[in-house]
Amino acid sequence: MQTEILCRPAASVARIQMQEGESITCEVGAMIAMSTAINVETAARKRGSSGGGVLKGIKRMFAGESFFLNHFTATADQQSLIIGPSLLGDIVSHPLTGGSLIVQGSSWLASGADIEIDATWQGLGNALFSGEAMFWIKCTGTGDVLLSSFGAIYEVVVDGTYTVDTGHIVAFEDTLGFTVGKSAGTWLNSFLGGEGLVCKFEGHGKLYCQSHNPPNFGKLLGPMLKAR
Amino acid sequence: MQTEIRNRPAFANIRVLLESGDSLIAESDAMASMSSTVAMKAQLAGGFFNAVIRRLFGQESMFVNEFSTYGTGEVVLTQPFPGDMECIELNGNTILLQPGAFVACESGVKLSAGWAGFASFFGKEGLFRLKASGTGKLWFGAYGGIFTRDVSEELTIDTGHLVAYEPTLKLKMGMAGGFFSFIFGGEGFVSKVRGQGRVYLQSRSMDGLAAWTNSHLY
Repeated sequence: MQTEILCRPAASVARIQMQEGESITCEVGAMIAMSTAINVETAARKRGSSGGGVLKGIKRMFAGESFFLNHFTATADQQSLIIGPSLLGDIVSHPLTGGSLIVQGSSWLASGADIEIDATWQGLGNALFSGEAMFWIKCTGTGDVLLSSFGAIYEVVVDGTYTVDTGHIVAFEDTLGFTVGKSAGTWLNSFLGGEGLVCKFEGHGKLYCQSHNPPNFGKLLGPMLKAR
Repeated sequence: MQTEIRNRPAFANIRVLLESGDSLIAESDAMASMSSTVAMKAQLAGGFFNAVIRRLFGQESMFVNEFSTYGTGEVVLTQPFPGDMECIELNGNTILLQPGAFVACESGVKLSAGWAGFASFFGKEGLFRLKASGTGKLWFGAYGGIFTRDVSEELTIDTGHLVAYEPTLKLKMGMAGGFFSFIFGGEGFVSKVRGQGRVYLQSRSMDGLAAWTNSHLY
C-alpha cells in the first residue's frame, strides 16, 4: 500500500494505491473516487475483529466521529482510492510502529487495517475545558494513520513542555500528556488577552497542530448568516 | 528575533523565534501554540481610549498580547480565516488597517484608532480603522490572497475587499456604475480611494462567503 498526498496544503486529498487483499479503514463520507475492484464494507468495528462494535461505535460518536466506519479492500492489484475531508485543509500520514496516537475526533481520516481504533477518555477536566470533543480517537498498532486538519498541519517535537491553544490540536503520541490551564501567568491576563484556556503538553513525543481554528472561523461567519 | 510566514497563501501563519529581550505584540487570540518558555501578557491596545474605540466600533478585543521570553522560544500566530498574510516594515510612516486585518507587530509600532469617516461606515468598512505608525515590522492578514495596487489618481474597490491603505489616500463612497448597475449589477456601493499611495486588497470577502452560504440555507 502506498499513500500519496496531493493538492497540499489548501485542499489536500490522499491517493492510496492498493494491491490485492490490502485494506484500509476510512471515515464515513471520505471517499472521493476509487477503482472498480475495491470492495466497500460498512461496519461499526475494526475489520476482522469480532464483538464490541456497537459500544465502540457509540464511543466514537462522542469523539465527534461517525458510528460507522468504511473498510475498503482491493480485490485485484493496482487499485487506487482517493479520500479527502470536508473542510479545506491539509492531510499528513503518521507511521505507527506499535505505539499509540491520540487523535482529535474530527481529524481522524483513515488508518491501516491493522490499526485498532477506539475512543479514549482524557480525564474530566480535559473533556470539559479543552475545547475539543469529550472523547478522543486512540489509534494503536502498526501502519499509517491519515490525519486531516482545518489549515496547514505543523509538527512539533515536544521534549519537556509545550503550549497549544484549544482548537489547534490535531494529534499527539501517547508518550505525551496534557492538562488544561491558563494561557498567561495569571487568570486575569489569560482572559483579557483572549486566549483563555490552553492545553499544556508534557513529556517526549510528536505533536501535530493545525494552523487554523475551526470554531474561530465559525464564530466569525456565524453572525453573518441568516436565521433559520 | 526571527520570523517566517509559513503556508502561504492559503493558510498563512507566522512562526516567531524569540530570544531574551525580544518582544512581540499580537492580536487577541492569535496564538496557536508556543513554547512554555514564552510569557504572554495582555495589554490595552494602544491605550485606554483607543482600546475602547476598538471594542465599541471595530468589534475587536480591547486587549492585545505581548510575548517575551527569558531564554529562547517559539510562538505560532494565526488569524481566524484562511488566507494570506503580509509583512511590512514601518519606518516612521503610517498605515491604516481595516478591522480584523491586524495580526502582529514589533514593540516599536504604535497602534491607535483612527476615524474612518461616514463614507467608510456606509460602505460597511467600519467607523474606525486601526492606525499603525512608528518603526518596526507589522503583520496583517486577509481572507483569500493579498494583492497591492499603487494608486495614482483613483481606484474603485468593492466593499469588503479593502485590507489596508496608506494615509495619503482618501476613502470615498460611490456607485460602481449608473443607477441601473447599482440596483441590478450586484456591486451595490463601492469604495473609491483617491490620491497617491498603496492599497492592499483581499481576493475574497467574508461578506461574499456569507452571501453564498445564505443562499444555500433552507
